[in-house]
Order: sequence, then C-alpha cells, then structure tokens
Amino acid sequence: MSYYDIDAILTDAEKVPCKFELDIPELGYLDNNPSQPLKSGTTIGLPLWLAELLALANRAPSSADEDAKSFVSLNMPASLSSEVMSALKADPRAVPLRDQSHNFYGLGTRMLDLFEEKEMCAILRRTFVTRAADIALHAGKAGATDDMGVGAGEEFLRGLEEWERKLFKKSHDGAKGTKEWMEGVKKH
Amino acid sequence: MALSLPSGLVPTEVAFLCEMEMITIVPRQRLESIPMLSGKTPALRPPRRADLPLWLALLLKKQRRANIVPPPWLLPASLQEIVHTETNIDPEAFSPPPPAPMRSDGRGVARPYATAGSGNGERELILAPPFLPSCTQDAPSGYLPYHWLEIAETLLAHAADDIPNAPEVRALLRDLQEVRAAKMRASTRHLEGGGGVLNIRGVGAMELAESRGFVLGVVDGVRKLGASVEAGRREEELERGADGDGSDDDMEL
Repeated sequence: MSYYDIDAILTDAEKVPCKFELDIPELGYLDNNPSQPLKSGTTIGLPLWLAELLALANRAPSSADEDAKSFVSLNMPASLSSEVMSALKADPRAVPLRDQSHNFYGLGTRMLDLFEEKEMCAILRRTFVTRAADIALHAGKAGATDDMGVGAGEEFLRGLEEWERKLFKKSHDGAKGTKEWMEGVKKH
Repeated sequence: MALSLPSGLVPTEVAFLCEMEMITIVPRQRLESIPMLSGKTPALRPPRRADLPLWLALLLKKQRRANIVPPPWLLPASLQEIVHTETNIDPEAFSPPPPAPMRSDGRGVARPYATAGSGNGERELILAPPFLPSCTQDAPSGYLPYHWLEIAETLLAHAADDIPNAPEVRALLRDLQEVRAAKMRASTRHLEGGGGVLNIRGVGAMELAESRGFVLGVVDGVRKLGASVEAGRREEELERGADGDGSDDDMEL
C-alpha cells in the first residue's frame, strides 16, 4: 500500500461507530449537544484513522486497582454488520457493495486487522471471488456489442466498489488488447 | 508508477513473439538459403516442403511465392476433437498441451518425436516449448500448442486459402476461445479457500496475456483479504513451534 494510495486515504476516512468510555468536557458538540460534556457511553462515528488510535491507545488508570482502559471501544461499521454478512452469505452477487461502502473490501481488511473474525474473512473472500467471475464476464463484453449498450454496463458498474472497479478495468484492458490485435491482424 | 505498461506481455507483443514459430511451407519458387542471426534458412526447391519462421512464411505467402501447410491441429477434425474434450470430457480443466517430443520406442529407449518426417537428420534436439516446432506439419494433432490462438488467427487472416474448410475452422476457433475464456473466469473460484494455487496448464500465450490482469487482481485481492487471518495462523504456528511439541513431525514421509 503506497503512501499516496488515494483509496487507502479514503478508506482511512470511513466512519466507524465508537463508544466513548469516559466523559470528555467541551466535546459535546460531536453529539449535537454543545453545552454539555460528552457523556461516556455515547456512540459516535469517528474516521477510521482516529478511531483506531483511540481504541488501541491505553490511558493511565485513574486508581491503582483499575485496569488500563482505552478511550473508546470500537464497533463494526454498518457496512460490515451481520445483516450485510448474511446477505452476502446468501448471494454475493445480489448485494450492491458500493451502497454499503465505496471501499468495502478496504474497510473489511482494516477491520479484520482489528477484530479476529474468521467467518467474516471467509465470507469476504467468497464474495470477492464469486463476484470476480461476474466482473470478468461483464468486462469482456463491455463495449464489444452494441446490443449490450452502455446503460447495462453502467448499471453493473454502479454496484461495484473500488477494488472491483480496478479489477473490472484490468480485465477489460486485457480483453480490449486481444480484441484490438485480432481486428488488426488482417491489416498487416 | 510512471510506466503505465501492465506487467507481463501485452497481446501485440505476444503476437510478435509468435512470429518466430516454425511453420511448414510449400515453395513455388526457388530461393537460396538466407543467412540470418538465428541461423540459415533452408534453401527452397519448389516441390519440397520446408520449415520457415512464421514471419518469413507470411512474407513469401503475400508475394505468392509459397503456400502454407496448416499445422495438423488446425484442421477441422482436430479442432472438433479438442472442442469435444474441452466441453464434454473435461469441462473443468483446459485441454493438455502437446506431449513432450520424446516417445518410447518399446525397447526402453526414448526417441525424439517425429524425426523421420523432417528430412534432415542432423537437426539438433530441442525440448523446451518456445523453440519446439509445434506448428509445422510434424506437430501432433489434437493438442493446442502455446501460441495456438495467434498462429490460427494469423493464418486465417493471411493464408485462409491454404486452410481446408476455413469458415468451419474459424467457427470452431471461436467456440474454443469462448469455452476456454469461460473456464479462465471460473478457475478463480478455486482461490476461495485461500489455497492460492491456480492450475493453468495448457493455457495459450494470448489467453494468458488477456487474463493476466484479471487473475493477478483476484489473487492479490484474496491475499489481502486473508492477510490478517494468515498472520494469526503464522503466529499460532510459531507459538506451537516454540512449545516444542513437535507436531510437525507427522509431515515426514
């Protein structure tokens, strides 16, 4: 992952629900309540880069008998909720992943780094592989026939998230190169 | 990231490389042997067949100085057989590549495949696929060589009158291409378990160039998705190894 990878930066900006573990003064405006301090137990969506740091950093225990606690506790974002997972389990092709998150798999890998979720990993893998076959099929056809049309291709592309769009572009480039050569072979 | 060329060969490069494949021609005019970097071409005497690189064969064909003998696997019967293998006998795997150019003579001695047909006995033995004469008249029928798609397309474009039943060959090639492209798409399904191994035995150069980006993309995606679990598994293994219970010993054969 490159430092300048725009998708990684956008993935870092994805909001993740975090539950605050302590009262914080002057931060009430985050919860639309500027006059009050931010109560502990409030759940607020924070960008992933911030949430990760706050969840992993330990604050000093206030008394000797208390364990070191983190500032916030992380939860799974809505795009990786159990509803989405069971929908993906049922039929990976039917879910428009882009509606869940633009960087669905990127967010997925980041969350898998933080949580130990073997089942989610298996589901994401299966989803990716199953949808990849579909992507290759569409990528090979896109722009090839007139009856396929731009409309159908766009409709399909709309459901793809960033990784899948990259994959679509790659396989489309390959198919296009071959097709161009095949059409050009007669001219030489 | 300044170079925008994709990794691996692009289809036009593959097509260029395939022009070094040897192909059999029937010359119509005499031509003395030409010294070239890759060696001398055989002297052409009209009724005798000779093997030339594809680019030279095409050049002579365009000047109407030679006819091209299509390789045996490009005949309709052979292609039908391959399509049948691909669709009915083994709908999962690709049809196998040509066998190694050696075969047993029944007395426990391996002999080069088809040395009798080529005429000159002192030809050196070549075993590696890129230099194997897989498209001459001696090539085995019923097997697709590495450069099958490029050779077939080029011959159909420039020497269609030398190929018996060219329209049928063209239709069969389209079928074959479709079947194999569908297999290529489906083959990534085996990556789901995280094995990371993909069997692409028998896939041609042009097909590889076409689907390299896609397959590598899928492999990379699966790897990234499984990275955390994989790291966890490695740690577990290390811990187990540190305990010294020696559970790996049952791997010994």
